[in-house]
Amino acid sequence: MTALLTRVKTTLSIRAHRRVRGMLDGEYASIFRGKSHEFDDIRPYVPGDEIRDIDWKATARAGYPLTKQFIAHRKQTMMLVVDTGRDLAAVAAGGEPKRDVAVLAAGALGYIAVRHGDRVGLIAGDAGGVRLVEPKGAESHLERILQVVVERARLDGARSDLRAVLERVVRTVRRRMLLVIVADDAAVDEETAALVRRLTVQHEILWITVGDADVMAAQWATSPMFDVADDSGIPDFLRRDRRLRAAFEEAERVRDAARDERLDALAISHVRITRHDEVVPTLFRLIEAHNHARR
Amino acid sequence: MTLVNLWLVLAWLVAALVTAAIVVWLQRRARRRSAEAVPVAHSDRLTTLPAYASALRRYRTLLWTVLVAVVLLVAASAVLSGRLVSLTTVQPELRNRDIVLCLDVSGSMIDYDAQIVETFSELTEEFDGERIGLVLFNASAITSFPLTSDYAYARSQLDALHADLVDPDTDWSFANGTLLGNGSSMIGDGLASCVMRFDDLDTQRSRSIVFATDNYVAGEQIMTLPEAGEFARSKDVVVFGLNPGDVRSLDYIAEFADEMRQVVEATDGTYWALEDPDAVPGIVAQVQERQAERFTGEPVLVVTDEPTLPVLAGFVALAAVMFAGWRLRR
Repeated sequence: MTALLTRVKTTLSIRAHRRVRGMLDGEYASIFRGKSHEFDDIRPYVPGDEIRDIDWKATARAGYPLTKQFIAHRKQTMMLVVDTGRDLAAVAAGGEPKRDVAVLAAGALGYIAVRHGDRVGLIAGDAGGVRLVEPKGAESHLERILQVVVERARLDGARSDLRAVLERVVRTVRRRMLLVIVADDAAVDEETAALVRRLTVQHEILWITVGDADVMAAQWATSPMFDVADDSGIPDFLRRDRRLRAAFEEAERVRDAARDERLDALAISHVRITRHDEVVPTLFRLIEAHNHARR
Repeated sequence: MTLVNLWLVLAWLVAALVTAAIVVWLQRRARRRSAEAVPVAHSDRLTTLPAYASALRRYRTLLWTVLVAVVLLVAASAVLSGRLVSLTTVQPELRNRDIVLCLDVSGSMIDYDAQIVETFSELTEEFDGERIGLVLFNASAITSFPLTSDYAYARSQLDALHADLVDPDTDWSFANGTLLGNGSSMIGDGLASCVMRFDDLDTQRSRSIVFATDNYVAGEQIMTLPEAGEFARSKDVVVFGLNPGDVRSLDYIAEFADEMRQVVEATDGTYWALEDPDAVPGIVAQVQERQAERFTGEPVLVVTDEPTLPVLAGFVALAAVMFAGWRLRR
């Protein structure tokens, strides 16, 4: 039952990413900087830790850099908020199911949180209902969370409904948390933006957009294609149409820009991930950007 | 318009329907279990674009083009396989006639001869399969030219003779050899000579003589006119007689005219007594007409294939299918 988490770990520990992973730990730790200054312990410095948190005296004694760890770090809760409707079973821009990319991204953040001793919970849902998995701090718990996501996000699952999930978060989550919202390219409309605005007041929010497949891409120009929402096919003739492709690319650009603008206006850190090998560097960028924005 | 192989057309239609049914069934099945189909979300990103609507219109137009063209192609093929024919009944005109112009070149006949020669010279233009020959006679008969289908030659001969006949200063060289008999105007001998000009007696051809004479005999004939007529009839030769002498203004002996009329009509021919040389073309036309009447064959049912329209329609349809297919697969 640890298959999903193993995959997350593998992704995180690929040689090329080793340095990034260390920095990811550091950047993650910084998210909660300033929430509490109750000193807890010192631990070896990892790249990405705040320079000013380095305990210089201890470093001098030990001979290698040590950094202060504050007690607040252990008490954080990360809540993964995932829209697990059947939209998530569709193909991502990179060619693999969006579900796999989402699980990898959520799993990587969750794993870092668990390694920091934080707790990870899940609010996942769709038009068929929203499910809450209470936050806990074990790897096996994270694995279970990921399994829930995979299980719900099927082609024959319920329709996607991000707003229902967010409403549930607004209603039920009282304590301050780090919300990791995993959504797709669906436009962030006015009502969703209003919900998110309410959440920003109380929580730290990281927004991960899993990029939808480019319908007009040459990659599947000759394969049959259907929309998961209503099973309607999109004739391949239309997907080869040059004029339509130009119009589609323009529309995509406009939509992406509109979403970025909305989220930027809400001061939410957000990234768009399209494939699994982008996950780690993109997450690093996300957290870094988040920390920078707040500073 | 009839279809010869109607059952084949029906077989085609059944085959087309069965094929269409199988294709529809396979499509249904393929749609149900499309393993390699790509599931995407939010296709309304694409489908709500105005460009999508116009592309969809183009797509539908092409699909309809293919559908209509395929139906047309199948229909054209079916009709072609059914062998579309038109049925007509024709009475074929047999154009295997031999005509010998048998002209008396005694002085009184020259004007008429000129007219006859001129008219036949023009007629050679229309001839196709007929043969024409020319015999001149007075006391004896000479063959000006034998039966021939070389119309250019016949025409040149006829024109040369016509030129001589109308020339007042002619040296009468065309009549050389026509005065070798015992007397002049041996009408019976002349006709008999003309009858002997027909060759190829085994083949089925219509044989006729345009016989121009005043039947005014002056000398001792070997054959009398009735004997010559009998001879012509025995060879199945039809004699059309033109007699310019048989008019009241001339002091003509009716006995001669009657004799000639009887001889001519005995061969199933026609007798004309004429006064004016200008009447000759009309008479020749009548001769032609009578012959045409006589020598039309049995009515024949002609079955003509009419593939032009289905073939053209098929080509157009095929071109449309290929064009639309190219556009769709591009």
